[in-house]
Amino acid sequence: MFQLTRLIIKNLRRNVLRTVLTALGTMVLVLAVTSVWSVLDFIDNQTADKANDFKILISDKNNAQGRLPRSYMESMRRGAARGSDDVVPDDYMTWAFYGGTLDPTKSSRENFLFLIACEPEKAPTMLDDLDQLGTADTARLNAAIEKMRKQPNGIIMGHEQLKLMNKEVGGRITVNGLTFKGLNLEFEIVDTFPKSAQRYGQTSIMNIEYLFQGIDEYDAKNKTKLASGVAPIAFEMLKVKNRQDYERLAAQIVNSPLYTSPAVRCESGGSAVSTFLASWKDIFWGMRWLLSPAILVTLSLVIANAISISVRERHQEIAVLKVLGFRPGQVMFLILGEAMLIGMVSGLISAGFTILFVNKFVGGIPIPIAWFDRFFIPQVALLWGLGIGGVTAFLGSILPAWSARGVRVADVFAKVT
Amino acid sequence: MLAATNRFDLARIAQFPALYGTLVGLIALIVLLLCVGKVPLAYNVRNLIVRWRTSLMMVIAFILVVGLMTMMMAFVNGMIALTANSGQPGNVVVFSGGANDEGFSNLALTEVTNVERTEGIAVNAEGQRLASKEVYVIANQDVPVGPGQKPRRAFVQVRGLEDPLITSTVHNLRLKPGGLWFSAAGVEEATSPDVPGGAYVQAVVGNGIAGELGMSSPEKRPLVVGETFFMADRLWKIVGILDSTGSTYDSEVWAKRQIVAERFGKDVYSSFVVRATEIDQAEKLAETLKDSKEVALTAMTEEQYFVNLQATSRVLLYAVLLVAVIMAVGGIFGVMNTMFAAISQRIKDIGVLRILGYARGHVLISFLLESMILALVGGIAGCFVGMLVDGWTAKSTVGSGPGAAKLVVLQFVVSQEVLAGGLVLALVMGLIGGLLPALRAMRMRVLETLR
Repeated sequence: MFQLTRLIIKNLRRNVLRTVLTALGTMVLVLAVTSVWSVLDFIDNQTADKANDFKILISDKNNAQGRLPRSYMESMRRGAARGSDDVVPDDYMTWAFYGGTLDPTKSSRENFLFLIACEPEKAPTMLDDLDQLGTADTARLNAAIEKMRKQPNGIIMGHEQLKLMNKEVGGRITVNGLTFKGLNLEFEIVDTFPKSAQRYGQTSIMNIEYLFQGIDEYDAKNKTKLASGVAPIAFEMLKVKNRQDYERLAAQIVNSPLYTSPAVRCESGGSAVSTFLASWKDIFWGMRWLLSPAILVTLSLVIANAISISVRERHQEIAVLKVLGFRPGQVMFLILGEAMLIGMVSGLISAGFTILFVNKFVGGIPIPIAWFDRFFIPQVALLWGLGIGGVTAFLGSILPAWSARGVRVADVFAKVT
Repeated sequence: MLAATNRFDLARIAQFPALYGTLVGLIALIVLLLCVGKVPLAYNVRNLIVRWRTSLMMVIAFILVVGLMTMMMAFVNGMIALTANSGQPGNVVVFSGGANDEGFSNLALTEVTNVERTEGIAVNAEGQRLASKEVYVIANQDVPVGPGQKPRRAFVQVRGLEDPLITSTVHNLRLKPGGLWFSAAGVEEATSPDVPGGAYVQAVVGNGIAGELGMSSPEKRPLVVGETFFMADRLWKIVGILDSTGSTYDSEVWAKRQIVAERFGKDVYSSFVVRATEIDQAEKLAETLKDSKEVALTAMTEEQYFVNLQATSRVLLYAVLLVAVIMAVGGIFGVMNTMFAAISQRIKDIGVLRILGYARGHVLISFLLESMILALVGGIAGCFVGMLVDGWTAKSTVGSGPGAAKLVVLQFVVSQEVLAGGLVLALVMGLIGGLLPALRAMRMRVLETLR
């Protein structure tokens, strides 16, 4: 085995140009596949419900942009539990969306701010991935949340949003409400989300109580109710231990007499995300079943071409190996080994490079899909690279290797003059 | 951006000088090489046939790369077609101040009563102002699922209108034969006691959404006039289907505004769409509306609004181009490998050619031509494969930014620019992939080749 491995490496070094070209082709195509798979993997994760840490969304039954009245809030936080046998959620977070512009005369991305109004202290446990932060970043986030508790108009802004708006931490801004038209609010940027919370680069959060306070002040000042303030809540997010609790809780809420106007719907977090991504379903299908296979087949063809050329050129050498006692299986192993070594090594290098290049240098793949604005390459991509390189090389070289196995010594030497 | 039509039109060549210039340049290069080259083309063709397995594999690789790029570009083209066909010249869209999309716009019914009286808005034969007052809602529709399956819902875009005739005139939309606009009440009494509320909500639907709604029915076919669907606790009866225009309205359900307001709790207008008296007066009308003292408004020409909605298409276009370039680079390494191998197998041929009097340049041209012929054949075949998707439908989103998006059903459009792009990609791959090996062949010394 050791000898065969040495022979494989020796053979690869013999035609360096071909080896390098095949490896480069593999690397480039593995880069494309890992990038595509990273997007799909992220979306799959978002649309799958976790077995533990089950999130539930309660929202308007009929209107996707509909809002719920404040009177629903307290009971929803308890999961509409009334009796001692009812399921009570482990955690909750109330969501409202306050969007507006810094300059009402100029609609531009730089002026537009979209804030999630919520209970800031719930962010570390209820916002995805924030519980995965390192110690230093967790401490920083908690400090920022503490500031928001003391200062109701404080906001935590994503670092990309901060850069886009050309603002600084500590800066004050006035937002002219669009989602709550007529409700203009002043904010102070208390901090940014830690950079390691990559998904939150363009996300900003505010105190939901500050929003409610603004609505109340508007109503009192104008002696009339702010139309959009009557029902300001976008949805309530609850957390339960498992699917069984979710199903019981969902029945509890949907059947509750407390929520009739408007009626509410209760669905798992993964299901809600799936619905929002439904209009992208065909694009994801194309990426999964057309783009990825096409790149993989192209990769296999590039490798198959290189290996079959190599086998054709080495008929005499293969015949000599057989004369020296190499069995057909060993010859086949030799050829497959060459292809798979190139494929796996270059696949691994490519995946490593892709992780570094995309995550560190480019700052994520900038494709805005729904509310996800960029995608990062997961560490598991190293395994993908290894696997893609290995499997495509195996598939691409199996026929040339089979033909090498069948080289007949007599035929080859009959042609040698 | 690309031209989103699959009709062949020579006049469009002038609109895309870089694309067609490159294609013409590459084809001219092949013709020039054919004219200047002295080594018979038959020599290269025979060699490609002799090495048929390698040649075939390379052609398949070209087909995959070009075919895939054509399909992806046809998808993006379909998105562009939707937005390009939706805006009417002379129309102005009006949102609440600061909003740049219907999703964020809330115009209270009382505060915009004077908007339609603005000077510069066209009037129809009956003396009515051509101002379409609309409310836009994204509705949740429960999707029927089998026993034990997780409940699902789908988003349906619903547009509530005050007067469908005015709206159809402003948006220049007609109904398919056999259809009617909904009545002034917007509802139709039901004879069956099983109909919730005792009445149907009358609806006019776009072609695309009729197909989507029908897919969740047992027959799995587009819904037709007279059929019903369930949404927002009511049965909605289709009274008319919009004649397909390939616009974003194809993906919408239209109903009476008051019904929409009541069912979805949105008793405001999202937008006004008004028709200027003359097409060239639209921008002036937009300015007049923006300067309204009564209420803060955002106004822009409808064409501009739909151009803004192409932001998603642009991002996807760049993503498609990036993927195409990455695949092409991978393919180039494959072509290089093949051509280097072809040269190393034919070193003696090169020597013989040189002895016969062919110059170094002739050798270069011969091998470069061989690579480009391979690319041309693969590119043309790839374009044919890509053309298969022309007319396919898919769901997607068009939008101008976060939260400002429309759900659409689009048709793939394989335009002449998409095909030209596919051929350019193939020929560039052939040129770059073949150039280095051809240069190597050119630099070989006669004695070395015959050793």
